[in-house]
Amino acid sequence: MDELSFRRTIYAEPNTTDPDVIQAAKDDPAKQAFWDEVKAMDAQLAQAMNIPIPENFADKLILRQGMDEFTQKRQKRPWYVAMAASVAMVVGVSYMTLFAGNSGLVNDVFAHVSHEYMAKELAMSSQTVSQEALNEKMTTFNGTLSEEIGEVVSANYCYLDTIRSLHMIVKGEKGLLSLFVVPQSKSQDLKEEFSNDELVGTSFLLASAKIIIVGNDRDDVAQLQQVAQSSFRF
Amino acid sequence: MFSRNKNLSSSVSTDMMKKQKRYEALVKALHADIFRYAMWLIKDKAIAEDVVQETFLRAWKSLDSLKDEGAAKSWLITILRRENARRFERKQFDLVDIDDVSVADPINFGDVVLEHRELRRIIGDLSEEYREPLMMQILMGFSGDEIAEQLNLNKNTVMTRLFRARNQIKEALLGDQTKGEQVNG
Repeated sequence: MDELSFRRTIYAEPNTTDPDVIQAAKDDPAKQAFWDEVKAMDAQLAQAMNIPIPENFADKLILRQGMDEFTQKRQKRPWYVAMAASVAMVVGVSYMTLFAGNSGLVNDVFAHVSHEYMAKELAMSSQTVSQEALNEKMTTFNGTLSEEIGEVVSANYCYLDTIRSLHMIVKGEKGLLSLFVVPQSKSQDLKEEFSNDELVGTSFLLASAKIIIVGNDRDDVAQLQQVAQSSFRF
Repeated sequence: MFSRNKNLSSSVSTDMMKKQKRYEALVKALHADIFRYAMWLIKDKAIAEDVVQETFLRAWKSLDSLKDEGAAKSWLITILRRENARRFERKQFDLVDIDDVSVADPINFGDVVLEHRELRRIIGDLSEEYREPLMMQILMGFSGDEIAEQLNLNKNTVMTRLFRARNQIKEALLGDQTKGEQVNG
């Protein structure tokens, strides 16, 4: 093997196992020395190429893959979910706009009239609340109940928003009605008539107090309103 | 029916666990080599890190196509080189030939003996067509045939480039500035 092709082979592949190259190196110490020299240079190159790896790089790569999986799953949410979300938002915003001004109080009134809440109050209450007991509670609002307003099945102090009120549950012809007594000073924003899908409500002023009546049936509410207007004295 | 669904989903999650385990093993075994390769290819640490991250993300997505763990290294290098090429496609308009950009001390990590720094500069100064096969051979331990396949060249060309690469390094080490031009073979 001539000098040039020996050098070329070694330079191209210092770890060659070519038997011709090995034989040539055996035969010629100068060739062997050249080979050793190239191998040494390669070892140096290998060390020089061995640059440090950024800290925690493997963890970063594994974490990154996990995050990618996560965002991919999120992106895979179908278009109609986004549509539904935006529809829900529009409904929510318009609902809030419709009830703007007294939404806090009205929402609380509705919350207190919900079936679950009413059931809780009824469970805590005795079957019928006497006129005497009602009047005792009315003193908080400087008022009295001169006549019976119907069968009162529960009477409790409640907080509407942050306003202390007396919540009475009264039996109407077609179902239970709620009557709230609240101080006028704190309920000025409340509309006279309000409603949602299920419930209708009305509020009216009697001297220093406001009476709010809520129920499922418009006629029941109107009837109780009439009775209440003549029964409460403040 | 419920139990059937349960079995199905639990086998899916077992498959995911297996895939995850396999991926983590791959990362742990090869991230250092792949990063070093990227560094020598790109000569910019931040970009190299990005490209390696993209590479491993791709690898994760198509992990099922890797049948033989022994081929993982060259499989990853193939992905890396493609990702690196995509970088230039994306930046077609502000394309800069990385070899033309003079970076003050591109591969300086401050922790290196002087001799290595000099060698690193010399390796970094090699043109890409010489540097890449050399990295594949020394850093990745690829055979001539494997390099030829990766670079889509015939083996003779690869061997010539490897010869020239070492020749240029040797000359640079000897302080000879006329790099390689006259040593044709």
